[in-house]
Amino acid sequence: MNFTVETVQARVPVTILTPDCDMDGSNYRDVIAKAQELQSGGTRYLLLDVQHVRYMSSAGLVALHSMAKLMAGEGSPDPTAGWDAYHAVERDRAGGAPAQFKLLNPQPRVEKLLEMAGLSTFFAVYKDRAEALAAF
Amino acid sequence: MVAPISMIYSLHLEAELKNLGTIRDFVEEAAVHLQANPTAIPNVVLAVDEMATNIIEHGYRGQPGTIEVEVYAQNEALIVQIRDRAPLFDPTQVPPPDLSLPIDDRPAGGLGIYLARKVMDDIQHRVTADNGNELTLIKNHIIQLSSGGPS
Repeated sequence: MNFTVETVQARVPVTILTPDCDMDGSNYRDVIAKAQELQSGGTRYLLLDVQHVRYMSSAGLVALHSMAKLMAGEGSPDPTAGWDAYHAVERDRAGGAPAQFKLLNPQPRVEKLLEMAGLSTFFAVYKDRAEALAAF
Repeated sequence: MVAPISMIYSLHLEAELKNLGTIRDFVEEAAVHLQANPTAIPNVVLAVDEMATNIIEHGYRGQPGTIEVEVYAQNEALIVQIRDRAPLFDPTQVPPPDLSLPIDDRPAGGLGIYLARKVMDDIQHRVTADNGNELTLIKNHIIQLSSGGPS
């Protein structure tokens, strides 16, 4: 799995991470590892551009949640925890969308998955890059 | 009288996470050939992917093995069967979440199983003659018989 990484100075410095393929059980750990690497390097605000992600499974959702936790400085939950990870997502959802992590350009299948999992309002989702950057 | 089934599309491959994309592409192409409603196919692909991921990650647990996927149509239903030789596990016995309970009181279980159940009409498990697992995923009213139907 390859990524494009770009840092843009908005109100705060925002790292834009763009994976180049689908997010599923075969690579979601790679996505989390990349986010951990960025966080260790000082990234605190992350915009995940999923324009190339045609398909995402529940493993991808766990990766999204892990990235949101990492940016919030809370560490990454166990990605293999299944419902426990989902519990954590739901607990966090009650607190509103995480401010430090946003999602850009989800394709229709990804949007539908977020909706089915009840997460379409948990992650702040944008279709416009400038609007997303301005929201940090 | 049992309804006839269509041509059966079959895939047999190593149970490795890197093969998930191949499984998804196979199911999608088979469903298209069987004239499934295009708007419903992504949900079937999601369910198969989630089940295959569970088999590879939690069934085989990194041990070598195989996974077999068959797709066919029967009447207006699209049916996907997944067979493996991992230790026996029946995902249909995982209790569905009781959404009336507080989140932390809900029974543990796989997120993938939850999503697969949500998008399919029925999921059945049986133990095969050679002591393997066979999952049957059924999506009703998805085959467009009016346009000629599967053959």
